Amino acid sequence: MSRSWSRSVQALVGAATALAVVTACGGADDSRARGTADDPVTVSFWAWTKGSQEVVDAFNATHDTIQVTFEEIPSGGLGGYPKIANAVKAGIAPDLLSIEYPQLSAFVSQGSLQDISPYLTEDIKKKFLPQTIEMTTLGGRNWAVPFDAAPQVFYYRKDFFAEHSIEPPATWGEFRDAAERVRKAAPRTRIATFFPDDPTFFQAMAWQAGAQWFRAGTDAWWIDTTDPASERTAAYWQGLIDDRLVSTASSFSPEWTGSLKQGTTVGYLGASWGAGVLAGIVPEQKGKWAAVRLPSQEADRPASGMLGGSTFAVSKGSTRTAAAVEFALWMATHEDAIKARIGASTSSALPASPAMVPIAKRAFDTGFYGGQDLYGLFEEAGRSIGPQWVWGPSPGATNAALGDELGEVVGGGSTLPRALRKAHEATVADLRKRGLKVEERS
Amino acid sequence: MSTLGRGRAPRRSTALSSRTRTRLAAGTLLTPFFVLFTVAMIVPVGYALWLSLFTEKQSGLGFDGPRTVFDGLGNYATALGDQAFRDGFWVLLGYCALYLPLMIGGAIVLALLLDTALARARRFFQLALFLPHAIPGLIAALIWIYLYTPQLSPVVAAMEAGGIGFDFFSSEGTLPSIVNIALWQWLGYNVVIFYAALQAVDRSLLEAATVDGAGNWRIAFSVKLPLIRSSLVMVLLFTVIGSLQLFTEPLILSRGSGSAVTSTWTPNMYAYSAAFERNDYGLAAAASVLIALAAAALSFVVTRFTNRRKEARP
Repeated sequence: MSRSWSRSVQALVGAATALAVVTACGGADDSRARGTADDPVTVSFWAWTKGSQEVVDAFNATHDTIQVTFEEIPSGGLGGYPKIANAVKAGIAPDLLSIEYPQLSAFVSQGSLQDISPYLTEDIKKKFLPQTIEMTTLGGRNWAVPFDAAPQVFYYRKDFFAEHSIEPPATWGEFRDAAERVRKAAPRTRIATFFPDDPTFFQAMAWQAGAQWFRAGTDAWWIDTTDPASERTAAYWQGLIDDRLVSTASSFSPEWTGSLKQGTTVGYLGASWGAGVLAGIVPEQKGKWAAVRLPSQEADRPASGMLGGSTFAVSKGSTRTAAAVEFALWMATHEDAIKARIGASTSSALPASPAMVPIAKRAFDTGFYGGQDLYGLFEEAGRSIGPQWVWGPSPGATNAALGDELGEVVGGGSTLPRALRKAHEATVADLRKRGLKVEERS
Repeated sequence: MSTLGRGRAPRRSTALSSRTRTRLAAGTLLTPFFVLFTVAMIVPVGYALWLSLFTEKQSGLGFDGPRTVFDGLGNYATALGDQAFRDGFWVLLGYCALYLPLMIGGAIVLALLLDTALARARRFFQLALFLPHAIPGLIAALIWIYLYTPQLSPVVAAMEAGGIGFDFFSSEGTLPSIVNIALWQWLGYNVVIFYAALQAVDRSLLEAATVDGAGNWRIAFSVKLPLIRSSLVMVLLFTVIGSLQLFTEPLILSRGSGSAVTSTWTPNMYAYSAAFERNDYGLAAAASVLIALAAAALSFVVTRFTNRRKEARP
């Protein structure tokens, strides 16, 4: 609690003004695609993803006409996105930004990014998993270079499942049975966690079930967060929460990591990048974990949604677009970049470029997963990502409303179906306020 | 005449120059303040007022970049018309209802106790009470989240062992949880203010009261408290305005735990969420201006009310 006069006014406007003053000192105009060895083009880059520093070092060591200066920023949800938004508004944003798929459309609709369609030729686009190109194409233009695909899989404690002869589930029906058996085997232990703080966790599973919340018409958005697939997913998870078959800690909270360490959480519905994160949280459980594809509605029809995943986008004010895109493409599609990132850090990102997957597979140490071929699993899951999902222009409004409601859901004050309706209303209201046309299912 | 004139002239000139010097000195000493005040207060407030009059409109599918259009008082209407923003003030009211009596009452009781305690114990308790204030609010909130988290916290474990089940993150539990953090952090600070005021009380008055046969209770309530009135008013004012600023602790609680704190739980959080989650800077600015107005109105009421009561006294 500060005792100064209205802190929000100061924080918000003070920062904006201070930054605006600095704007005049923004970088010199340098639109050359490449410099020379003596006078290289300098590209500035902000990210928080694991291994970014290593990748930048590897790039700078092998390139002399483009040099990159890297700054690590807080992760998006913990202040990274406000930092980016402020910097763009003040005109002091770096040339290249790391932005996750769900937020990309928000930054595009704010006019914060550059259209990089001219640089992404058909040949280049072919290097990527089609879904990732789809998700970075908004309004018919390309706004970012996809870095990774983030299909969801199910990580589980192999030793616990084997000890109690529980089979890893292939369908959501089996997942519920397995959850019951886990609790029966150890009353304080749960099969997995429903993360109430991260709306994209629930969205990924609705997405997997075939939901499509945002659909672009010719000049209007179709919004429907309560389609049958979403309703079905909501009812299913509401059942698991009501029957206390899953825990409801926040993602990466002390409560969650503590339960992993104590062995009272024996599964994790995480993205591909979660493998490295998990190994970092409980290194002492090396060799005890394994992964299977995400349970699906029917065993013979595997599917997946995406949980996060990052892209590289060029900020609006940058004059070094060509060099920035070249660096971004190098990070996403060059062997050295993948080796540097996966080899030097604990990142387990699934490259959006399929040609890079074998490189990542060789660079990733799967000792934590008993030597399991994780990338084989990721690749298969990546191909099954539902291609129907797009993000509307105001994911912030949708996710803020959904996130608030999810907190109530796990507290017993609301239900998932109600949360979906709230998210729907908030989205429609926000889009209308922005002057956009919205169609709803009648 | 001429002698007078000659004698007067230099005197006038020294008078003038000394006045000029005073002005120059005052100007020099005040300039840094006014420069900072202008840059850090006037300009940002002006900019917030300006921002609050505009809104961003988009066209097509919304991917062509926004246009900034003048919206008059539209953002104010939106903020005031938004249930979430109004609910924030209700949360604040509940917070004040719980926090103010506990804080003011607790601080007074502790300060009075300190005032009567032995000199050595006094120094120890003063330090012990003040220490939490040295910890930044952000860190304090993180520590308390740990202490509130079931299955991790020794406090919750001890409570459960004692048969008390309380969920600090539930919708009923969040308000007491946050009041507790604020109390822990600010209690010592206010105790020190009250204690300093009590120390300034003329000892002969207390002796006179004792001689007149007043006990410790009587002295505390009839002599000491009326004499530290001005400190009481000041602490009350600061605490009320501080409560309006409630932001850090609930924000950390809403992000770092599965608590029922929403992203728009207090008015300040509403402004933050509008700016950085929904990218609606105009609405954020309007909400901030409204919060500032509420703070100004409230401090006016508090000072006015307490002054009138003082004047009413003989």
